[in-house]
Amino acid sequence: MSDEYRFIGRSTRRKDATEVVTGATRYVNDLKFAELLHGKVLRSPHPHANLKSIDKSRAEQLPGVKAVLTWEDVPDWKGGTPRITRVLDSKVRYVGDAVALVAATTEDIARQALSLIDVEYELLPAVFDVDAAMQPGAPQLYEQLPGNIVTPGMPAFGPNSLREVVMGDVEQGFGEADVIIEGTFGYENIPNPIPPEPPGAVALWEEPNRVTLWVSNQASYLDTIILHHVFGRKVEVRTHGAACGGSFGTKLLSWQLQSHAVLLSKATGRPVKLIYSKEEHIAAFVLRPGSRMQARVGMKKGGTVTAVSGKWLVDTGFYSMTTQAQVAVGCGEIQLMTRCANWDLQTAVVCTNRNASGGVRGFGGQELKCSFIPLLCQAMEQLDLDPVEFIKKNYVKPGDGYFWRDGAWYTYRGIDYSDSMEQGAQCFGWKENWQGWLQPSSVAGTKRRGVGVGVHGNADIGEDSSEAHVRLNPDGSVLLFSCITEHGTGQRSNYVKMVAEVLQVPMERVSITDADSQINPFEYGPFGSRGTYAIGSAAIRAAEDARRQLFEIIAPRLKARPDELDTADGVVFVTADPDRRTSWRAMGHERTILGYGRFDPDFTLANCMTTFVEVEVDTETGKVDLLRVVNATDVGQIIDPPGLEGQLNGCLGSSGIDSALFEETVLDDRTGHILNANMIDYKWRTFSELPSIDNVVLETPVDSNRFKAIGVGEVATSPGPMAILMAVSNAIGVWLHEYPATPERVLKALGRVKARSHTGGAA
Amino acid sequence: MATAPAEKRPPAKHVSLVVNGRAVELEIGSQPHQISPSHTLAHTLRETLGLTGTKVTCDNGACGTCTVLMDGAAILSCMTLTVECHGRSIISIEGLADGKTGKLDPLQQSFIDHTAFQCGFCTPGMIMSAKSLLLENPSPVEDEVKEALSGNFCRCISHYQVLRAVMAVAGKEA
Amino acid sequence: MRPFTHINARTVKQAVTALAQQNGAARLNAGGTDLFGLLKDEYLPAYPDMIVNIKTIAGLNYIKEDKNFLRIGALTRLADISKSSLLRQRYAVLADAAHSVATPQIRNVATLGGNLCQDVRCCYYRYPRHIGGPIQCARKGSGACLAVTGDNRNHAILGGKRCFAVCPSDTAVALTLYDARLLVVGPGGERQIAVGDFYTPLKNGLRSDEMVREIQIPRLPEVPQQTFLKFTLRKPIDFAVVSVAALVSQATGICTEARIALGAVAPGIVRADAAEKFLRGRPLTAETAAQAAELALADARPLSRNAYKINIATALVTRALLGQKECEIPPDEVKAYNPTELSTFHRCSSSTPPGYATVVESGTATP
Repeated sequence: MSDEYRFIGRSTRRKDATEVVTGATRYVNDLKFAELLHGKVLRSPHPHANLKSIDKSRAEQLPGVKAVLTWEDVPDWKGGTPRITRVLDSKVRYVGDAVALVAATTEDIARQALSLIDVEYELLPAVFDVDAAMQPGAPQLYEQLPGNIVTPGMPAFGPNSLREVVMGDVEQGFGEADVIIEGTFGYENIPNPIPPEPPGAVALWEEPNRVTLWVSNQASYLDTIILHHVFGRKVEVRTHGAACGGSFGTKLLSWQLQSHAVLLSKATGRPVKLIYSKEEHIAAFVLRPGSRMQARVGMKKGGTVTAVSGKWLVDTGFYSMTTQAQVAVGCGEIQLMTRCANWDLQTAVVCTNRNASGGVRGFGGQELKCSFIPLLCQAMEQLDLDPVEFIKKNYVKPGDGYFWRDGAWYTYRGIDYSDSMEQGAQCFGWKENWQGWLQPSSVAGTKRRGVGVGVHGNADIGEDSSEAHVRLNPDGSVLLFSCITEHGTGQRSNYVKMVAEVLQVPMERVSITDADSQINPFEYGPFGSRGTYAIGSAAIRAAEDARRQLFEIIAPRLKARPDELDTADGVVFVTADPDRRTSWRAMGHERTILGYGRFDPDFTLANCMTTFVEVEVDTETGKVDLLRVVNATDVGQIIDPPGLEGQLNGCLGSSGIDSALFEETVLDDRTGHILNANMIDYKWRTFSELPSIDNVVLETPVDSNRFKAIGVGEVATSPGPMAILMAVSNAIGVWLHEYPATPERVLKALGRVKARSHTGGAA
Repeated sequence: MATAPAEKRPPAKHVSLVVNGRAVELEIGSQPHQISPSHTLAHTLRETLGLTGTKVTCDNGACGTCTVLMDGAAILSCMTLTVECHGRSIISIEGLADGKTGKLDPLQQSFIDHTAFQCGFCTPGMIMSAKSLLLENPSPVEDEVKEALSGNFCRCISHYQVLRAVMAVAGKEA
Repeated sequence: MRPFTHINARTVKQAVTALAQQNGAARLNAGGTDLFGLLKDEYLPAYPDMIVNIKTIAGLNYIKEDKNFLRIGALTRLADISKSSLLRQRYAVLADAAHSVATPQIRNVATLGGNLCQDVRCCYYRYPRHIGGPIQCARKGSGACLAVTGDNRNHAILGGKRCFAVCPSDTAVALTLYDARLLVVGPGGERQIAVGDFYTPLKNGLRSDEMVREIQIPRLPEVPQQTFLKFTLRKPIDFAVVSVAALVSQATGICTEARIALGAVAPGIVRADAAEKFLRGRPLTAETAAQAAELALADARPLSRNAYKINIATALVTRALLGQKECEIPPDEVKAYNPTELSTFHRCSSSTPPGYATVVESGTATP
């Protein structure tokens, strides 16, 4: 902790706090538009079918209906990676896929119109399992994807984007191992992060080729670029990012619903709002990818991993937009946590007839490690290794290297995270509780406690590019131009804080622009944990650039060189002689100063989160209770303590830790229906079920930006799930490898579910 | 005395209620300014009265986001028909601050001071549930706060900071 | 929601007259918390033409005890039941069951009558119309029960027939334990139905033109030991995976009365007759309780994925008989570190020596 800062590292109020607590914050659905129409989507009852015919005449005749659109009415706009998924198609690929669109004067009329559209389907066989989908003769979702295998690689990451981890000599590595473990492990409960605000957008088309959208997305600037490509690069797209009621990565995949709103606006000439219901949100928006890993790992007695080989299958549902990117990042992240010289890890992204998977907090790495760490645990058990010692030994160290998402090799120049792991372990009482593999830490009656640990880290903290402008006004106020929506991290306020620190003006004097793509420079958006280092650097550099220009302009007035000047509270003064001073007004009242800052990608730093958990299992009922959590990390420099604490507490939400306890999306693998598309049957953590949480945060300065800080928000969710399975297995004394650890699975693992005669389908 | 059969009675033309201290008279009908019998209170507050501070997450009674006070008790406005609010007093998040001075309710101020929110979408509902508790029990213990908020969904996990914010004003209400 | 006609009933007679005139196309709205699921998800083939508000009927919100019965008006809110001192003292299982329902906001409007008459929670039956639904099934009059060969983790292990959805009412478990009955009013007058007989595999015992007016519990002469246990994956909100209510009276160490009711295991609430008979005249011990629990589940016939409910039900019956609400590991068995605060933010320096020093932030932001 540094005392040298006026704002950085201190608890400050969020800039938007008053709006939030008074209900004045405007999310997309709160915006008002004249002549607004409401859009609705007719959704498929079948998991795979051709649309033989659609009769929309009855719907069109309903008073209040302004447009009914089917695939025959719309341009050949396509999205996804590769770009093969039409905004409306002649074929449906999951239960809930879009069949037709309606715009009407009220939501009720629009919904009623949906029931008046008559569709004739030609049913096709469907497939719901990745292995089955790759078999010869399996139903094919796209002509362009033989075997349902999605084209490998993420074009945005360059031609060599990472799709495998291959290095060293695997056979030699296995030869050096003291134990070799092989198996198939999965994280296939496809949990849903379910931000509270549903996905949605408002679109206003203006002929001949311009559209403005009001969107809910953590990265509204990217929507502009994505839609520009979806619309065949023939449409000028402007986005306004409204306040975002949670995204957790998912709302980047809003292109389809945004396109639907655009099509309806184009057809009617009026603004069209399309907001998903919560049922649509769960059944027809973004799930975590399914992850299945068949792999082999070799390990030495001291915990050195000598070789990893195998195949990682990723279920992306009916299409992919970001899944290859998740594979690329996941392949990088697995190297960060496993210092191993010999690799042959292959991957495949596979389409199945269910709702799409895409980017969710933990982006690939969580999915991969939830499959991989259980495999490592088998080896650690054989060698009687303490998992905390294992992760300390195996997490990336300064000077180590790894292939990152673009396929290039990077040398790590960050810190050794062993200290944070050790302090976390001390806070948790790991040594006192760890009794060895499959050993409970305490037992009483039917209750058994167990402990587990997980680790995750990402070199995405410096990924992609950001730009910002900082404008100094003669009255001493400052305007930060940054295309950032507030989606819960508090980062809009943190960038203000960084600018305030550079310019030494009160935070109240610094404003930030709305996330309008037309007035702000390029911004990739707060993905991963890039907000603090990447986006923050752009804001800092823009402020520094503005400060430099200010000094150049004012220096002659103070008869000093620019480098002899300093500024605070809207006054410029000579550092060595503070009485020689003048206010910013001296820049001239008909002038503003515009500084520019840019961040270019840097993959040589990584963050790290270690999560310790203790669970209690009731061996009679199979119930697992999470008692406590300790998160341990090192952030270089805390920017805002309460904001960071919120991010770390977020380990429980957004399909993090709880995806190993009770969160899952229930898919009927006969019919393709998602059976728990509501917020009673999809389980989420409540106030009644709060474990104790300790967040152990170190501040070892790291060579990132001016404030030596890095972000960790994304990785909070990721180490928990695997730690839970470890803890449950230790508590009950047998391995449990399936997510989530429901009573049914715990009792089965314990061999306690009695086999009885079935009813034999008496229905 | 026999009562007239239900369908012979003229349907009520108006619903009168008090919203945030103001009397509101709503006409029943199908015009944009009117309310339909199928309109929920959440819809009426947001779309007819323009009070968009009440947010809607699940619109199906499971998440507490749309919580408002009806005669002082926390209820879900997405599971309440406006036509059934005749004679009731409703307080939404917009009605908490002092109408004259604009001074925030101590709970609202405490949420600010403790950064007891992340994305903020669930915050109005959280504050209304907590307000309902404090009206009934001005000095709750932490378990009572948890119980009162147990029906409120938050996915960012602001729970711990919300508990601090509510406990900070517990016992201090006027 | 799609449009409907709405009327406010002033009397029970008005309400049932409206139901009769609409001939099945009208629905009562008490608390509305279950009704709105139907209106919003439109999971049934037919949408109601009329909603009859019965909150406007005066005098149906009461809890009173007379010589023979504890009487509860059908419109008594669950919040009032869970907070009633009379019930807390003498009929605690009902108060606990009411408290276990849904969330505080729901309990502030949901009524006892509504809780008893709510529709089942089967995930196929309630699949929403707007996501490619609804799904047809035996309960809707066409097709088979999809749960039999599908996801039946929450379905019946006892008594399923054509439909395997379970009775979702928590209060029905308590009322069945108390041998309660419903006073039901229709156009032709009143009748009584035992709560234990109210639920059948395809529907409850209410005709489309009837409403529940009062719930009557035969007065308990004394206050027996009574326990309600509800197993869910988390609290609150959830419907029971299994719920159990038990009541035991003992004299000189011998059970003079024993009653066990199981919820969420069958289309109706199950009274464990054989287990009850077994216990009467025997001492109540951990062993006899466990034996009774085995008897209570002896007839269970699980589907493909719900055999685990037998384990849970067996454990719950045993615990309920013994009056165990929660069993916990004694604090001295727990190793190291028991946090005193629910959450703590430790801001540490990286050079902290062993022994672990922290700076704890209060979390309060300064302006």
